Amino acid sequence: MKSFLRRTILALPVFLFSLPSLAELARLGDEALSHISGQGGIYLSGDISINEMGGPVENSYFGRCDDADKKCGARFAYRLKEDGGWVVLDDIRGNFAFEGLTLRVRKVDSGFGGDGELFNRDVLELGLPNTVRFNDVQFKISSSSTARPTDPGFQQTDIFSVDMRGDVVMEGNLLVFPAGNP
Amino acid sequence: MKWLSFSQLPVFARLLPVMAAVLPAPVPVEAELQGLSETEMSSIDGAGIGLVLENFKFSHGTDEPDASGEQARIFRIGGIKSTDGRDVDITVNHLYIAGANSNYGETLGPVNLGRLLNPWKIDVVDGNDIGIANKAVLEFAASAMVNSDQGYDCMDSGAGPGSGTCSSRPASAGYIGERADIGMQMNVAVGDDRSANINIHAKSAVIDGSYLRLWGDNDRRQMVGQFKLNFYSPELSINACAQDGSTCGSRILMSNFALELAIGNQLQPVFFDVDGSGNFVVEVAAIRRPQPGEIGADGLRGSSDVDAWDFYESYYTNPEFRSNLKIGNFSVGDRDFGSARVQGMLIQHLNIKTRDLSQ
Repeated sequence: MKSFLRRTILALPVFLFSLPSLAELARLGDEALSHISGQGGIYLSGDISINEMGGPVENSYFGRCDDADKKCGARFAYRLKEDGGWVVLDDIRGNFAFEGLTLRVRKVDSGFGGDGELFNRDVLELGLPNTVRFNDVQFKISSSSTARPTDPGFQQTDIFSVDMRGDVVMEGNLLVFPAGNP
Repeated sequence: MKWLSFSQLPVFARLLPVMAAVLPAPVPVEAELQGLSETEMSSIDGAGIGLVLENFKFSHGTDEPDASGEQARIFRIGGIKSTDGRDVDITVNHLYIAGANSNYGETLGPVNLGRLLNPWKIDVVDGNDIGIANKAVLEFAASAMVNSDQGYDCMDSGAGPGSGTCSSRPASAGYIGERADIGMQMNVAVGDDRSANINIHAKSAVIDGSYLRLWGDNDRRQMVGQFKLNFYSPELSINACAQDGSTCGSRILMSNFALELAIGNQLQPVFFDVDGSGNFVVEVAAIRRPQPGEIGADGLRGSSDVDAWDFYESYYTNPEFRSNLKIGNFSVGDRDFGSARVQGMLIQHLNIKTRDLSQ
């Protein structure tokens, strides 16, 4: 027991020595804090494939993309009314790749035809990647009686489909910030 | 001095070293948190998200097929069938959103969309503030309209401050502006018959004051909304050209084009639904009929139920509920048809339902 106590007493100076180092952390006032902004940011390159090869389930309905009789894309269904039908984003598939999507916090205090100076706040800046390469990206907008095509009584009307391939030019920055009256 | 074992020390003494290490740091921080009074709390409003696109440019299209029939870029809208069951395919040759003076999409420059001081917004707003009682309303809105002493004329691409109600500024010598050139070239194929290329271009377009509001209806247990589209452009043109671009037909030119479209309002929201057979339904329900005796025989307020009379009076007189279309000058080729104006359209009932022709 005594040896334990002795170890404790030995440990005490360690705690005590740690105190002066804590004291060196000085508090920042609101004024000083308001000048601190995140440095750097994130640079993203990506390659996203959605159901490019085949669907999630292989049964009577879903299946491989090379089988024209079966569907293979992802499906997103949204119901607008209790006990009503579903609005569907269907057959979502393809691949898109981008190089140089950036994410950072930026202080805007100039530019924008004089608005920047009056605005004088931080914004979250999402730098668009200039070009996004679409490889046979497609989806359909449909309306359907059931959430899943395997549900009984399934009926679906495809309203239109979109098919995109190649380089899409998307330049600029998306600035996101709180608006309204906080 | 008598040594005490650690376990014999009072609990406080045992904790002392730990507290000594931990306490000094957090205590001053806690002191900075201050309580808010009821009055201060009541004036706090959830802030929405403001969005501004800076130096934005979008362009995509469909390329001519090369020798082996391959196309580097494709942008196609399909899945539509004609009444006689043939496939309809819309090939978008070019779709662009770019800065002003793009020369019908030939030279694409950047544009800002939304203003930092009046951005595009995604917000949940208190329905009581916008005439939708006791609902939280999800709102997607473009820059709001402003007072005419602060704003810019919605049409004039050389407008200065204090000339109109639009917040978005036109491009000037030193600034790219917030008004985009938008255009599309497409052609439509029905079966094997492919149409000529159709070009639609809007110069210096503004959509200030547009919004989409969505909320839930308790009685019908359904998503309802209110949609307002304002679209102003000093020049909207449509023409058709041969597939190879060699010859073009007359250009339909609409100068000073202003569309203010209101679908659904606080009293008659628009309902969205999909019916049992999988068809999309958009509905604006008719306004309720007055009960017998609610409105007097002479139609005057004095002989009517005052609340009912005021309800119908506000419904029929509110300019916000009305849709307008104004065209400053309408011309086809070298023929002028003068100005056109459809004003004060009120959608009293609407029921649109898609039908699947393939069944």
